[in-house]
Amino acid sequence: MQSGTFHTSYAGDMALRPYWVQRLRIALVLIAVLTFPWFADRYWLNLANTIAIAAIGAIGLNILVGYTGQISIGHGGFLAVGAYTAGLLAARLDAPMWVTIPVASGFTALVGAFFGLPSVRLKGLYLAIATLAAQEIIIWLLTHGKLLGIGESLTLPQAANNLFGFPLSALGNNDFAFYWVTVGFLILTVVFVSNLFRSRTGRAFVAIRDQDIAAQVIGVDLFRYKLLAFATSSFFAGLAGALTAHYRSIISWERFTIDTSILYLAMIIIGGLGSVSGSIYGAAFMTLLPALLSNLARAISGVVPDINTYLPYIQQGAFGLAIVLFLIFEPEGIVKMWRNVKDYFRLWPFSY
Amino acid sequence: MRNERRRFNLPALMLALAMLLAACGGQPQQPPAAGGGATTGGPPIKIGAIFDLTGATADVGTPYSKGQIAFVDWKNANGGVAGRQLQLISQDYAYEVPRAEELYTQFVTQDGVIVFSGWGTGDTEALKGKITADKIPFISASYSAALANPAETPYNFLVAPTYSDQLIIAMKWALDDWKAKGKSGTPKFAYLINDSPFGRSPLADGTAFATANGIETPLEVPSPRGATDLTPQLTQIRDYGANYVFLQNVSSPAALAIKNAKSLGLDVQFVCLNWCANELLIKLAGADAEGVVGAIPFSPEGEGAKVALEFAKEKGIDYGGADSTFVQGWTAMSILVTGIERTLKDGKELTGENIKNTLETMGPIETGGVTPPVVFSTTDHAGVKALRMFRVENGKWVAITDFISAK
Repeated sequence: MQSGTFHTSYAGDMALRPYWVQRLRIALVLIAVLTFPWFADRYWLNLANTIAIAAIGAIGLNILVGYTGQISIGHGGFLAVGAYTAGLLAARLDAPMWVTIPVASGFTALVGAFFGLPSVRLKGLYLAIATLAAQEIIIWLLTHGKLLGIGESLTLPQAANNLFGFPLSALGNNDFAFYWVTVGFLILTVVFVSNLFRSRTGRAFVAIRDQDIAAQVIGVDLFRYKLLAFATSSFFAGLAGALTAHYRSIISWERFTIDTSILYLAMIIIGGLGSVSGSIYGAAFMTLLPALLSNLARAISGVVPDINTYLPYIQQGAFGLAIVLFLIFEPEGIVKMWRNVKDYFRLWPFSY
Repeated sequence: MRNERRRFNLPALMLALAMLLAACGGQPQQPPAAGGGATTGGPPIKIGAIFDLTGATADVGTPYSKGQIAFVDWKNANGGVAGRQLQLISQDYAYEVPRAEELYTQFVTQDGVIVFSGWGTGDTEALKGKITADKIPFISASYSAALANPAETPYNFLVAPTYSDQLIIAMKWALDDWKAKGKSGTPKFAYLINDSPFGRSPLADGTAFATANGIETPLEVPSPRGATDLTPQLTQIRDYGANYVFLQNVSSPAALAIKNAKSLGLDVQFVCLNWCANELLIKLAGADAEGVVGAIPFSPEGEGAKVALEFAKEKGIDYGGADSTFVQGWTAMSILVTGIERTLKDGKELTGENIKNTLETMGPIETGGVTPPVVFSTTDHAGVKALRMFRVENGKWVAITDFISAK
């Protein structure tokens, strides 16, 4: 039972996860993550991969929106940049994924920083519209992709899915093999971003979010750090996009429309702004919600035969309803709910 | 303070429960693998399908889905296939590629469907790798020519002329019409298309045909999704001086274009390809639809269509009056089921590979005059090559040509 913070060393005070309960929890989660694919069938592996990729993208967006306080409606476009860069490298130059993924992420970071330039002058709604323009410009380029030599869709060769010469297909079916790649990258992302906010750069981001003028007064270079936030955020969008391209092995711009940008914003709002784990919860929630509804409908279709007729409309409504309910009852997202649950047990029976 | 904390925990608990449900739902009911020989009776034969009931193409997606469901019901009411019932496992995917992938994986891996009926061009192309790996015979409402070559997509089957063929047939008709009207020189062509892989699918082949016939490269005008006014696009077409405008879009935006053109006083011949050449177009565009020409691959006038339309009447199925689209869904499903039926009749085990081989080798499949006989081969999966052109006269589609083929 832990009833306060009692650190006796600086190392203890600085640790990312100072309590044994936290470490135990991480160990349990890791065990679950490592054993899951051996029990799950392809459908659940497919969902897990989708969640892992979405989580990387959502963490990226959260760096920008949740931690730095800059709004972006262009995330779908940045995902597209990552996906198409990786796709073109693989399809045209036969580059393997261990080359395409870092190159695509890096290039997306550059593109993101470029579209982040208006952030120096613009704030709030104005910045939102400027990033919306980024989304539209990128999609326009892709739909009129003759300029870039892209057709309606881009197919990646199977041979591109290898890590340092080791073909992924040797691991088993595509969903199983990619689980290790997507989850591996998710873990790296989580470790990196969690540490980022203990660093000088991360603190600067948070300072900008909390009060940019004050941040400038204490010596934070706004221009530099805002662009850095856009670049870092886009880096992870590019990573998620490149993973999508290799996992699905075919990409078209239809996957990266403005709807995708909105979906990612919804993920971080529902999961929790300014929280790494919140981004993962949000990605999982938004991916599982339609699956949950359809499985639920199938389970009760014996009792309510007409349910399949209404299901499409329920699914459409559920998306909006989820956002509204979260905004009303728990604006801080799933991560706050989880914290409330933990607090309840930690403080029990004296929860006041 | 205490009360407040309690209040916040209820949603938390509900969420945890919801997540748990999501994690358990569907998994335990692992169905027995569909199989068995030619014996009558046995477990139901599972067919997977995704429909667009709420997405960008829902206007035609809904009657198409009703046609597919109705065919399965009709077949079951008539004793099923070799004494076995058909079970259609279907769901709306809202024209979203990721959702299509998820549902496909669920239906194939958890429900064990052996054949699949898809919908859009984007999602069918996105699924083609998985379809091949899973060996699932797949028909779709996308007739993109990119899916017709079995060397690349061995499990995709096209049950109508490809979009490319449809456009070329429509252009052939336009050239004849131009001559029949006694006009000299060559007409000018324009495309008004859905801004998507579906819209662009036939353009390259159509343009190649047009230029080979001495026609200037047609003007390509995409209509933005969800547009409520297409006047700017139509003005562009007017400035170009097009005589024939080929619409590769679904009914609602096509009807909008036709109405806008009327109020703009634009004098062009509209030619609709498959997905806007239906009764919905007439319903939406009203009198403005008079004289519009359409390439209709699934004729609602054929004998085979009568069975479908009578069954719908008898059961009170409401498909919004879109006869040809309803018949299209019905017929597409019937072709897939014929493959299953024949495989069982030949005494083979019901596997995706066997059904594919049967479809490729069984010879012509009759559709009762709805389409010309459908023939697949090991080298060509575009089962139909010809269609008839129709024109709207007095609020009805009337056939104006015999079956024309692209080649």
